[in-house]
Amino acid sequence: MSDHALPAGAAAPTFSPKAFARQRRRAAFAEFARAFRRDRLAMLGLVILLAFVLLALAAPLISPRSGLSVVASQDNPRWASPSGDFPLGTDHLRRSGAAQFVWGSRVSIAVGLMATVLTIAIGSLVGIVAGFFGRWTDAVLMRLTDWFLVIPFLPLAIVLAAVLDRSLRNIVLVIAITSWPATARLVRSQVLTVRQRLFVDRSRALGASRAHVIRRHILPNVAPLILANVTLAVPISILTETTLSFLGLGDPNLTSWGKVLEQAQSEGAVLRNAWWYYLPSGIGIVLVVLAFTLVGRAMEEILDPRLRERGR
Amino acid sequence: MRPRFVLGKVAGALGTLAFVLVFNFFLFRVVTDDPIGKLFRGRNLTPDQIEAKRQQFDLDGSRWEQFWAYITQTLKGNLGDSILSGRPVTTEIGEAIWPTVFLVGTATVLSMLIGVWLGIRAGWKRRSGFDVGSTTFSMVMYSVPDFWIGMLLLALFSIQLDLLPTGGFETAGSTATGLAALWDQFGHMVLPCATLALAYIGEYMIVMRSSMLDTVREDYLQLARAKGLRDVDVRRKHAVPNALLPVVSLGALSFGYILSGAIAVEAIFSWPGIGQATQEAIRGPDFPMLQGLFLVISASLIVANLAVDLAYGVLDPRVTGR
Amino acid sequence: MKRYVATAALAGIMGVTSIAVAGGAGAQDDTVTMTIGLLQDMSSPNVTVGYLVPEFEVWNLQYASLTDKAADDFAPLPGLAESWEESDGGLTYTYTLREGLKWSDGEPLTADDIAYTINRSRDEEWANHFSTVENIEATVLDDRTVQLTSSEPDPKLPTMDVYIVPQHVYEGIDAEAIADYDGMDGVASGQYSLVEWNSGQDWTLERNPNWFGRDNGIDRIVYRVFSNADALVAALQKGEIDAAHGFGAEGAQLLEQEDGIEVVVGLQGGFTELALNGMEGGIGDGHPALQDIDVRHAIYHAIDRQAIFDGVSLGYGSIGTTLSPSADTSWIPDLGDEGFEYDPAKATQLLDEAGYLDTDGDGVREMPDGGQPLRFRYVERSESENADSIRAFVTEYLDAVGIATDVEVMDDTQLYEAQVAGEYDIFVWGWTPYVDPDPMLSYFTCGQVTTDVEAAGYNDANWCSEEYDALYDQQKVELDPTARRAIVADMLRLFNRESTYLVLLQDADLQAYRTDRFEGWLRQPAETGPVIFSNSSPTYANLTVIDGGGDDGGMSTGLLIALIAGGVVVVGAAGFVVMNRSKRTADERE
Repeated sequence: MSDHALPAGAAAPTFSPKAFARQRRRAAFAEFARAFRRDRLAMLGLVILLAFVLLALAAPLISPRSGLSVVASQDNPRWASPSGDFPLGTDHLRRSGAAQFVWGSRVSIAVGLMATVLTIAIGSLVGIVAGFFGRWTDAVLMRLTDWFLVIPFLPLAIVLAAVLDRSLRNIVLVIAITSWPATARLVRSQVLTVRQRLFVDRSRALGASRAHVIRRHILPNVAPLILANVTLAVPISILTETTLSFLGLGDPNLTSWGKVLEQAQSEGAVLRNAWWYYLPSGIGIVLVVLAFTLVGRAMEEILDPRLRERGR
Repeated sequence: MRPRFVLGKVAGALGTLAFVLVFNFFLFRVVTDDPIGKLFRGRNLTPDQIEAKRQQFDLDGSRWEQFWAYITQTLKGNLGDSILSGRPVTTEIGEAIWPTVFLVGTATVLSMLIGVWLGIRAGWKRRSGFDVGSTTFSMVMYSVPDFWIGMLLLALFSIQLDLLPTGGFETAGSTATGLAALWDQFGHMVLPCATLALAYIGEYMIVMRSSMLDTVREDYLQLARAKGLRDVDVRRKHAVPNALLPVVSLGALSFGYILSGAIAVEAIFSWPGIGQATQEAIRGPDFPMLQGLFLVISASLIVANLAVDLAYGVLDPRVTGR
Repeated sequence: MKRYVATAALAGIMGVTSIAVAGGAGAQDDTVTMTIGLLQDMSSPNVTVGYLVPEFEVWNLQYASLTDKAADDFAPLPGLAESWEESDGGLTYTYTLREGLKWSDGEPLTADDIAYTINRSRDEEWANHFSTVENIEATVLDDRTVQLTSSEPDPKLPTMDVYIVPQHVYEGIDAEAIADYDGMDGVASGQYSLVEWNSGQDWTLERNPNWFGRDNGIDRIVYRVFSNADALVAALQKGEIDAAHGFGAEGAQLLEQEDGIEVVVGLQGGFTELALNGMEGGIGDGHPALQDIDVRHAIYHAIDRQAIFDGVSLGYGSIGTTLSPSADTSWIPDLGDEGFEYDPAKATQLLDEAGYLDTDGDGVREMPDGGQPLRFRYVERSESENADSIRAFVTEYLDAVGIATDVEVMDDTQLYEAQVAGEYDIFVWGWTPYVDPDPMLSYFTCGQVTTDVEAAGYNDANWCSEEYDALYDQQKVELDPTARRAIVADMLRLFNRESTYLVLLQDADLQAYRTDRFEGWLRQPAETGPVIFSNSSPTYANLTVIDGGGDDGGMSTGLLIALIAGGVVVVGAAGFVVMNRSKRTADERE
């Protein structure tokens, strides 16, 4: 953001306000990193996260996509327990459990991230607009936010997903539509606090445009909170995708962890004691969700001084 | 309570209810392609029956006339007919409500008791082994999809150990009556109830714990301890009653979520409640059922929230003064 | 405050424990109940509108018919009629009823009921009766004698297997009202009568004391609807139910490993087909490419039915060949080399030669004019256990030859309506034929093609031909069995060659029963058929109760004891704490 504000090639004098601000932010980040590294649980979460992101990115290298094909799998054994050939066994259509785990991580994590980005984008937009413009804009937007907050989350996601066609895009959309209000409220309250501070008023007095104030003063101050919120929203997105897929509302052409659990349920994996089919996906979900929660909590604690004092 | 406070709360709830009604109508009528074809059909309907439905909901009228018909029919308690069973949606939902209230209500009470107990212990002796253990447990439980806990419990207690029935509300065709029938239903409830309780405990534990942490730092507690009162007594008589408030709020609010609390878990255990009805409606798909379920679940939440707000007004005069 | 909570919890625990103790010693009554589990609910117990397998089983039990059918080979047996005589070259049959027949409510059952049912169902075209009684006039000669006259030679006679309904009940329901009738009168001429139906959960039949046949000692039969195959299989394993129907190949494999459970692989002609929209009626919005027989043949060659059979049916049933018109599978002719063997190269070649090429390089072929891509809507039935597995195979096979699919999930009514309106491209569904091949064959005549949504026909192949119709009319009046078989074989070859049906699988009804409570299960037809949900359900009359067999399932005694013990410990501990506390409180007050 600050790079953008600097004209290309211009040498910044060390004492210019912009450079000073940049330096201050760098120092803040270094302090953040130090605090984060001290939190062992957060570091554990980060390691787990990186491992799963790596797994998702490297899926084609680890397990060929043909492992998901029913036609290519037809000579495999059915419901085979784990072995050298099939480290996570096979399912009712003879497909490799490992292939589904690896490729499922891709869809689950990708949906989680995409839905979160969209959620935060909508929530932040509403929050900033409401908080900054105040008056009737604020009143209308917050009324809408409250309404959405009151409607029970999962049933809303279910009816939306049921009405729309079953596709990855729509799942992302459904999660974003159902989860933006919390972010909107949070961001709005932060904007209000920031707005109270003197420097914004001074900018306004100096004749800065609204867009300028939002970009230069509001956004940088709200950004850390939004970031922490992102990390805490991903687990919710992933769990929602899992539940929707489990209820049969997922994209029929894609394998996600939730979809694997849905098939485990409908094909009687529990009854067959085919633990290799329903355990890995469930454990994957728990680990990724837990990792995001640990990292998010640590970030929130470091970035929000009130929480730090309370020392949860 | 001041009348203005009551009126304000009731008006707010009615406003939200109106929003849900409007949203519900437009979601199913605008977003869906061929909404009329998807909402107004069913098994073995004679042309006369279809015509009667069309007239009830004014399907030949404009969208606003249709909206008006929808509102008036809903207020009369007519939510249309289920496509899969052909019976009125209100009948279907009416039958499904009690098993769910029974199951989720029990699980909520159980998890509240256990969660509060864990939270008191953990918050009182921060960083103790018990604190770390129970906090970790709660964090993990918070991250697990509830239905997956159900799958694990089912695998362990019903399949491996063969101790409990695999699903349903009672043994099919059981002629048992009275206490024997109750005992049978109790057996069927153990696993789904335990699943939900496990899934909910984390939240209560975490809230109770952080409330305890706040309370413990209060001056009067430090004073009480300094005066040499026994630790147990300080905790029971001073700390706990004060720390309990946030949990009571959380608990009260959670009763609004009873109907939607077990959607996926009921599917695992074939529990004949709102969750299973929802799952069957999704699979169908049975749009009139989905529309009705959404309305009833939302309305129950709004009404529960209103009740909690009003109860606060009665219990705490400061609230109404605001 | 907390005290009260503890006390309430304590009271709760004590309550549960006492219930447990009392429940454990609870009284058992001596009603013999047989419970059968399945996955499908009834659509309606009203004989004029119901159309699903479950209600046919109820009707088989509740309504006796004029002639019964042998369990072994469907040969006509005495039913309500104890004997019959042919005259007038097979056009007239005179049936004599058993003596002293009564309905379950005590009203006498006479020739009037028979004639009333046959004539009314013909006049009002009741869906489940009409194809049998279409050309028949029933006349009452006296209380125990009824004469049936057919306007055409009818190879189905003397079998007359329509459900006879009570005139004294149905008289009160006119033609206008009958479709809305709930069918819950419970007045039975057969072995059991329907007394209760909890939609989506279960229905119960009770023994009809006035039935003419043998008492099997079973007082009530309960059918319980399960929401998934897992739960159904588990319930049978644990003895919560006595028999189960329709749990799928997966469940059958599991149950075959169990002692005390007999798995039945019942064949009665049911099949699963992949149907393409032939656009015969001219209504709807089917994909134009499907009217091209080359495209249809290419699709047939692109699909490996053996792989679907191995992967989905798991060896139960057989690979589909062509339309199976009868519960007796010997009606299917040998197709020789006219079957569509799996040959993706040939499929590609057919499509290439007919000009369906992928001109824009997106992996999907387009119409010869380069416009519309070969992207077909594929309807997956939500009410089928294996629809998603079959879909996984079919869509992959089509993808491999450059045909794309958009999957849409529908329930059976929605699919039926889409099919009637011609608004589909591909669906996978199935049929279960009657014993006589006529009804199944009739569905694919031009008269059954839907040309107007209000007057829906049965022809869901949405294809027909004059040649087929001419053959159909011939077989309908051919009384020589060999000659009739030859005509039917020609029809089936024609249907196989030209039509929009690819029969994927010959389905087996998978059922299982526990061997510890009842014995005497009968297969219909002998050796290959199912034991329940068969054509005329002869099993029920043949069952006997095994003395002292089985337990009721439910919770195990071990757990019961453990829970009671646990309850006692908790109550004891809680009591101890409470007593201590009140003592201490007293101390402190001093």
